[in-house]
Amino acid sequence: MLRMQKAEFVRNTERLAGPLDLELAEGARLALTFPTAREASIVAMMAAAVVKATTGNVFIEEFDPRIQPTQCKRSVGYVPHEIPSFVFSSFERYIEYRAALWSLDPERAVAHAKLLLEQLPGIHESFAYPLAGALIASPRMLVLERPQSVYAKQIFDVAGNCATFSTHISAREAAAFA
Amino acid sequence: MSERKHTSAVAAIVIARLRIQRRLLLWCCAADTLVGCIQPHGIVTTSDPLAARLAAHSVWLAGPVFFCSLLGIAVALAQRGDEGLRQLEMCEQSAPLFGRERARASALVPCIMATVAAFAYWLAQYISGFAAPPVFFSVALAAVLAATLVALSATLRQKSARWFYVLLAFGSATIVYFFAVYFGAPGLAIGFLFCGGVSLIALRQYGEALARYDPIPRVTHEY
Repeated sequence: MLRMQKAEFVRNTERLAGPLDLELAEGARLALTFPTAREASIVAMMAAAVVKATTGNVFIEEFDPRIQPTQCKRSVGYVPHEIPSFVFSSFERYIEYRAALWSLDPERAVAHAKLLLEQLPGIHESFAYPLAGALIASPRMLVLERPQSVYAKQIFDVAGNCATFSTHISAREAAAFA
Repeated sequence: MSERKHTSAVAAIVIARLRIQRRLLLWCCAADTLVGCIQPHGIVTTSDPLAARLAAHSVWLAGPVFFCSLLGIAVALAQRGDEGLRQLEMCEQSAPLFGRERARASALVPCIMATVAAFAYWLAQYISGFAAPPVFFSVALAAVLAATLVALSATLRQKSARWFYVLLAFGSATIVYFFAVYFGAPGLAIGFLFCGGVSLIALRQYGEALARYDPIPRVTHEY
């Protein structure tokens, strides 16, 4: 599902992430710990094909994000960490927006998202909404950037057979997602 | 089917971004209306037809081209950096869209804002009794849009490269002003052609830069 071979991210000669070698099978789970939040964020973005590796290779379902970014992104649901405030007027508006970007039927997407949200009771909306939004396109891999360990069970329940890749800055948090 | 999909994604991005920036749009319209009302409207009395023509053209064009271009550049620079826009950008970046689609959608937003603000300027001029003729306003609007599109590339650059693009944007508006004021009707035509060429190149370059752009988090206390 996800393969990284000596993947690293460099900006202005400064290595910000990597080099990483990893392999994630379909339906499997992988949680990695990093020394800084920035590195955890960059690796999650590399796994979600949002950021391209400067050197080395990243493959998502055998697609290379540098050559086939849209194919890669169809397979991945990415849940970022930094969501300071919700910019949409309602959950439905947010899902309709995401449905348009993923070319999904908006009514079906909203219904699907509401079902997912019902399975996430007690999770703060700033995490639950993006998680439900990421799952409406039925991705084969869920990439979570620094998720909270208290939500691990609910996330796995709602993700079903989806492979999960998460990045963390503490080993205790990572253990909950392993 | 495929074209319909693209249209709706572009529309969703444009609507969401305009919604977040509606306050900025209102500020731009208010600033343009104010400057449109208070800008000097008089033309110096002269018997020289050439001097009279230059004076009229410069009064018609100076305000709309320079002030509206400055606002267009400011609006373009505001397209990246805001927390709400970053949230949208992360969503757009993780969606299965091509760089050119995202570029088109995100370039449309400042262009719409700059156009609405420029019309507010023209309306203020019209109300105060000295609106530029439509053809002059059209060339001013073309200059504003070209400057806005060039300035968009500055949002993807850092430090001196960013300022280079801002200067390039303002420089392109200045060139159009120069042609339109000093070369009469052929100058207006050259101005339109110049704006069209600059806009196309700027949009293409922005699309390519956006496809290569990595939205890595900025260094903050948390990072």
